[in-house]
Amino acid sequence: MRTPTLDAFQVIADPSRRKILHLLTQDSYNINTLAENFEMSRPAVSKHIKVLQTAGFISIQERGRERYCVLSHEGFNEINNWLNHFDKFWNNKLKNLETVLRTKNTN
Amino acid sequence: MRTEIKHRWVYEQSPNEIWEYLTQSELIALWLMPNNFQAVVGYEFEFHTNPIPSLELDGIFYCKVLEIVPLKKLSYSWKGGPGNGIITLDTLVEWTLEKQDNGTILNLKHSGFKVENYSILTGMIDGWLKNIQKMLNQLNKNKNENTNS
Repeated sequence: MRTPTLDAFQVIADPSRRKILHLLTQDSYNINTLAENFEMSRPAVSKHIKVLQTAGFISIQERGRERYCVLSHEGFNEINNWLNHFDKFWNNKLKNLETVLRTKNTN
Repeated sequence: MRTEIKHRWVYEQSPNEIWEYLTQSELIALWLMPNNFQAVVGYEFEFHTNPIPSLELDGIFYCKVLEIVPLKKLSYSWKGGPGNGIITLDTLVEWTLEKQDNGTILNLKHSGFKVENYSILTGMIDGWLKNIQKMLNQLNKNKNENTNS
């Protein structure tokens, strides 16, 4: 019987695949650029990428002739959560500042 | 993808007054957060607020003054994380002031939002480990049910 969840665990248990994910936390790369970071052959890197893609850790985006690897959504949601939080945060604080300044001037 | 926040507010007060509220610790505390800010380039300070568990932030922001142009510009780094010295949020806050006839425009830019220290990865790994645990629990449960029947 197939156990996809265990497969996913095996996916990240592999050091090369973890390294690919680490690299992709910094930027999106095409397969050639990723391959330059490894001693193994480009087809071998491609295989790892395929595994990561199948497990849902990364997706492949076509940009012109190039195919770029990007991390899948979970991580980007995290950034958006931060942005949304601090956007509201600053808006509230700048409004506070207005109130504080007004109160000060009436005293 | 958006990686920065910008706000532009107009205040009736002069740049001089606004500047005081950006650079004097006890005045900053009145509208922003408790802090130990000092207007000295290179000075490291902290803002303290309540923990924000949904963002895995412990409520302490570690900052360092990077640039001071009196009455015009102030910038500091703004870092945070879940605690134990782990930094997942590594950003930059920049304030610029523009004098107007009857007030001041205050611009805020909070930039550099990206995932540092592989927090994406740890998040994903944690997620997977939880899924695996759930599956194992389910398997054990099935096994027990089978042996009981």
